[in-house]
Amino acid sequence: MSLRPFVVAWKELLQLRRDRMTLAMMVALPLLQLLLFGYAINTDVRHMPTIVYDQDRSAESRDFAASMAATGFYDLVGHVSGYAEIEQALRRGDARVALVVPPHYGEKLAAGKPARLQLIIDGSDPQTVASATNTATGMALARSSELMLQKLAASGSAAPFQPIELEPATWYNPEARTTVYVVPGLVGVILTMTMVMLTAMAIARERERGTLEQLIVSPVRPVELVVGKIAPYVIMGYVQMTIVLLAGRWIFHVPFLGSLSLLYAVSFVFIAANLAVGLFFSTVARTQQQAMQMSFFFLLPNILLSGFMFPFEGIPRPAQVLAQALPLTHFMRIVRAIALKSGGFEDVYGELVWLTAILGVLILVSSLRLRKKLL
Amino acid sequence: MTEPVIVTQGLSRHFGSLVAVRDVSLEVHKGEIFGVLGPNGAGKSTTIRMLCGILDPTSGEGRVVGYDIRRDAERVKERIGYMTQRFSLYEDLTVEENLKFYAGIYGVPLGRGAKRVREVLERTGLLGRRGQLAGTLSGGWKQRVALASATIHEPPLLFLDEPTAGVDPVSRREFWEQIHRLAHEGTTVLLTTHYMDEAERCHRLAFIFRGTVLDIGTPDEIVARRRLRGAELESEHAQEAADRLRADSEVDEVAHYGNVLRVVTRNDVAPEIVIARVLTGSLAPRSVRPVRVGVEDAFVSMVRAEADAEAQRAAS
Repeated sequence: MSLRPFVVAWKELLQLRRDRMTLAMMVALPLLQLLLFGYAINTDVRHMPTIVYDQDRSAESRDFAASMAATGFYDLVGHVSGYAEIEQALRRGDARVALVVPPHYGEKLAAGKPARLQLIIDGSDPQTVASATNTATGMALARSSELMLQKLAASGSAAPFQPIELEPATWYNPEARTTVYVVPGLVGVILTMTMVMLTAMAIARERERGTLEQLIVSPVRPVELVVGKIAPYVIMGYVQMTIVLLAGRWIFHVPFLGSLSLLYAVSFVFIAANLAVGLFFSTVARTQQQAMQMSFFFLLPNILLSGFMFPFEGIPRPAQVLAQALPLTHFMRIVRAIALKSGGFEDVYGELVWLTAILGVLILVSSLRLRKKLL
Repeated sequence: MTEPVIVTQGLSRHFGSLVAVRDVSLEVHKGEIFGVLGPNGAGKSTTIRMLCGILDPTSGEGRVVGYDIRRDAERVKERIGYMTQRFSLYEDLTVEENLKFYAGIYGVPLGRGAKRVREVLERTGLLGRRGQLAGTLSGGWKQRVALASATIHEPPLLFLDEPTAGVDPVSRREFWEQIHRLAHEGTTVLLTTHYMDEAERCHRLAFIFRGTVLDIGTPDEIVARRRLRGAELESEHAQEAADRLRADSEVDEVAHYGNVLRVVTRNDVAPEIVIARVLTGSLAPRSVRPVRVGVEDAFVSMVRAEADAEAQRAAS
């Protein structure tokens, strides 16, 4: 076997050691992203500022408003006396939700007649709409059946009971914390970001500085060059992965239930796939700057479509097809299956096949491009 | 006699409909310094790239250091050194690390490599700067490191593509001393240059113009074949005298050096006779003396003649 890949890797490590900026970035980036995503992305909507326009001013209306506040979803921030004021409050952002209680609400309830409540929600943030509606609807339903049961009991019919009772049990993330869901996925996002960019730039740099020409005339083969250049970054990828997992555990108490060695083994395919993408970019980019721009361009669909931020099932069909072609989509499922559901090899096998197939195609395409462009 | 280090037969390279190199046949022998001259875009780099085995010829044959450039490109690459005008060093590596890297890439065995690096550092006077980052060196020093890198594996053949572009005159001299020493020790050198004083220092030259080799030979042979003769005259009306001389069909070239005109005539016609015939009366020069005709005159003459011939072909 030729020693040349080792010579190239040795040179790459020497350069990396002198490039303090890149080195610092590679360690700081995972931490920064972890803090950013861990704290900032929070899809649990809580404490929505809520105002009440109570035209009834009865015990029942106050009771309903108070039970809304008790859920923790709504923070009662004030009372208003008209729709104009509601509009102003929503427009200014003083409130996101307004509860309107019409006159005679309490009387109607007491008389056993249907009573109406109105909930006005600021729809400019779609995330809040569903939560605000669902929670309030649930509350209204619960209160209704409670009243109904009371009435049945009062009329002396058979022992009242609720016909259907649903008991939701959330597995794998019982408290439904976003960080638990986000942090394992973040491993994949950070690897995608840095692996693609560093590979693309490492080769673009040689081209930009003219050293690639010198290498082309030398007996080093393209595959030796690529293996040697990429190997140090594979190690870097594992370092970043470890940083995210450890910091996620210490800072956000994200559990890791499955087999670490399984995750590290499977990650190799994922890291290799990203390096192949970077390699492909490097054959297209003429400068380091172009390589960087392409990497960022690639990152965006990864973040949006892979299921990292939005559930895969929620994205439109054509986008799902595209998402299936992204390595991150499959790694996202693998890392969550292992970390949160303690999935074994047989549980991630299907996704691993996908990932391997994508890697195969990427290697084929980029080595064809590389042969054509390098020589 | 042993096989030439470089031998090509009808080497051509097309890029689509463009013919970059046409029918190049040449031989370069062991220990020779062979210069390739030609204007920018004449096909010098394409020729070198084919000889290095990194570009396949469209047609024609070539053997370099005993191997076919088409079939045994990898063997060729192992046995040549290559240096470009850009001095492609790793600026964030030290001088010594650069040399070690290239020693490794060219498969110099580890133990031998360390010895070779030391040897090359000593020989090029880089020992004192071996720990310095290559990016912080001045142009002349970078050139030394580039040459040291290109010869770290003791290649029998060295390609230098405009190796002295942008280097100060003193460094250029020292560089040429190195080249001659290498050639003396048996290394064959093929180089391209735009400096005519450097062309004169080569053993043999090839003139390339629009992809075609116009002439091959020693500098003296090439100059002699053009049948040019030269003289210098001093005149107070230099501009007018130059215009008159240029209009004469025997005059190949007139160049200004202040009040001095350098006149080159064709077909072995004595310039003194032409000058006496053309510059009469108040234009008569103060003094005329013969000068040696060099490679530069031959080069300019050849390129002009070729361009004129082409213009005539296009017109007819």
